[in-house]
Amino acid sequence: MTQYFAGIDIGSTMTKVVIMDSGIISSIIGPTGPEQRRLANKVMEKALNEVDLPFEAITYVVATGYGRINVPFADKQITEISCHAKGVAHFFPEVKTIIDIGGQDCKGIRIDNGKPVDFVMNDKCAAGTGRFLEIIADALGIKIEEMGEIGLEGNHPAKISNICTVFAEQEVVARLAEGVSLHNLVAGILESLANRVSRMVNRLHVAEEVVVTGGGAKNVGLVKALSDKLGYTVAVPPEPLLTGAVGAALLGKDIADKTLKDGVSLETKERSLKEIKIF
Amino acid sequence: MAEEEKKEVRKKRRTATKAAASIGPMVKESIGGTIRAKQEGKKLAYTFIVCLYDEILSVMDIVPVWTENYAGVCGAKRDAERFLERAESLGFSRSLCTYALCGLGFDQWREKLGEMPPDAPWGGQARPDMMLSSGQILCDPRNKWYQAAQQFMPDVPIYDVGLPYPLYEDDIEVADVQDYYIKHITEELRGLVTFLEKQTGKKMDYDRLSEFVDLGERTWNMIWETYELRRAVPTPMGTGDAMNTMVPMVFMMGTQQCYDFYLALNKELQDKIARKEGVVEDEKYRLLWGGGLPSWFALTDFNYFNSKGAVFPVETTYRMIEPIYRLNIPDTNDPIERLAWRWFGYWTYWYDKAKKRPGSEPDVERLIQYIEDYQIDGVVMHEAFSCRTWHLGLIWQLNQLRKIYKPIPVLILGKDGEKTKGKRELPSLILESDIIDISSYSEVDTRNRIDAFIETLEQTKKNKV
Ligand code: SF4
Repeated sequence: MTQYFAGIDIGSTMTKVVIMDSGIISSIIGPTGPEQRRLANKVMEKALNEVDLPFEAITYVVATGYGRINVPFADKQITEISCHAKGVAHFFPEVKTIIDIGGQDCKGIRIDNGKPVDFVMNDKCAAGTGRFLEIIADALGIKIEEMGEIGLEGNHPAKISNICTVFAEQEVVARLAEGVSLHNLVAGILESLANRVSRMVNRLHVAEEVVVTGGGAKNVGLVKALSDKLGYTVAVPPEPLLTGAVGAALLGKDIADKTLKDGVSLETKERSLKEIKIF
Repeated sequence: MAEEEKKEVRKKRRTATKAAASIGPMVKESIGGTIRAKQEGKKLAYTFIVCLYDEILSVMDIVPVWTENYAGVCGAKRDAERFLERAESLGFSRSLCTYALCGLGFDQWREKLGEMPPDAPWGGQARPDMMLSSGQILCDPRNKWYQAAQQFMPDVPIYDVGLPYPLYEDDIEVADVQDYYIKHITEELRGLVTFLEKQTGKKMDYDRLSEFVDLGERTWNMIWETYELRRAVPTPMGTGDAMNTMVPMVFMMGTQQCYDFYLALNKELQDKIARKEGVVEDEKYRLLWGGGLPSWFALTDFNYFNSKGAVFPVETTYRMIEPIYRLNIPDTNDPIERLAWRWFGYWTYWYDKAKKRPGSEPDVERLIQYIEDYQIDGVVMHEAFSCRTWHLGLIWQLNQLRKIYKPIPVLILGKDGEKTKGKRELPSLILESDIIDISSYSEVDTRNRIDAFIETLEQTKKNKV
């Protein structure tokens, strides 16, 4: 009988669900509004519906991400450090450094033999996270998705001296008024974010192969700036938002395989999709 | 805060030793004691911990009011916010040391009312008769806090004691500069004695001081031996407890009560070791608290570590002693000089060791020694934003440690699938918050980091060859 595994990654801005057998068969990415986060069961249901599976068919569910503690239907909670490591190593077996740039946080993970051995995190300050780009994009009146392409065209990135999001926002507006081109301004913003991120991950002694995940990985300009700053080529997984959920599902599979090997029974939660009650 | 909530916070905190559990009442009693002493007409002095002149105060019958301690108590009771806000509204920046801010907010309030602020934690902080600043190299509040407080208490005199020690340079021999430092520190202490004599109208009794310094030295040795017992596996006491058991060390040095406390703790730890009774039942990871003052309002985080099988057999924070017999204190009958040598010996204790390892520094050397002596699997530090003095250097120390010290043997998978032998550094974790400013703390984020760190430790153990 085919076994199915689910990984659910509740980040601060996005909720991701992956269902796997031997490969990914279904995946959903949706925003984590306060409502959505409470309704993680709905996202899971949606992913199941896509492949016409009942929840009972899932052998094991692992929850990860900031909101993992509040997923009542998950069999186990594992932090995003382990899940990202597992998920990225699945696509890039030789990965040594992962940089995850999320909506509200940013982390660096050092990997040995596919396993996380060290990490750094910034969850305190908007500078160095996707939130920074969001605020600046707003101030510039452009869409955040356009930023990467726009930045790539800036040949003389403007120097942004403020790393504090609030001040950087004011600075950007002032520079625009001074006549700095939008392309150079955006290139400067991406460069300043890349500087900030690389300063943080450098504590890990960055080594190749370097993989970038999270929403930040979708920003081509940022990925390039990061690669320039670090001095390494930087790889991006096929769907950089999903690596955490993929890792969660794979870790669930590992747990199930191990119990089978050890001849013990797999401990799971009751198979019912419930709403999340508390935050 | 509602009374039930207060109880809730206290109920949740667990200590491993009886000695640590006895500290709360002890601190409460000592704060109450200062208020009673004031009513009895005794002389009170605001002062800082690790000031070196604890014994001098005891002999002169001056009651110390430890201002950092009172701020810490407000923090631990989650009742610092109103004092911090008050200081802020007086024009002090929120990014200053929050102990100082809390103290300033409190003092201004007390002076304005002419009595303790309403519901002051543990009865409040008594008005001093003098304030003894004790500047050390990096901490500016140790000079500036009381100067600022003098605005509200213009009649209270300040005496400023400077207690320097040479900064580490790998090409400078401590022996070449020590005489100058000893002379300077001795003179600073003598100046303090003159000031105290004037304030109290009493003469210093040097024979009595010698006895107190003697007792202080025996206490240093006793603490060191007692803390070294924590090397045992499983460890009988963790850093969470040490954040309590430091109280006699920093607030009662040179008193019999202090010595007796560590004697009792020593016995308690020996008994626990004999029974193989650890902080946790199944000790999986041994961690070093590599510095940073704790978040006083979140000491239960240590229990959280424990719930994951992680223990802290050792910490650098508040371990402000070394064995006296290793400090090369020369024979002298002058108790003031002995104090000066103790100070100098303590701060330069790791200098020679650091010189022997390229790229090392005294503080890094100390970390390495603890890692080896206590069989440590990982290092945790706390970066408290408002205390620049300690915390700026911490991250640098950690980076340096990682650079020069890689104790974990691993097999590393190469591009060709070949495994080669290599060495890796210890996993480390930096927690970010503050000593008493609760608005800087997020329990969810902190515990998320701890969870991830525990998973990293597990993987590192698995990867080890
Ligand atoms: S050492 Fe840090 S916490 Fe203590 S008084 Fe100085 S700045 Fe404040």
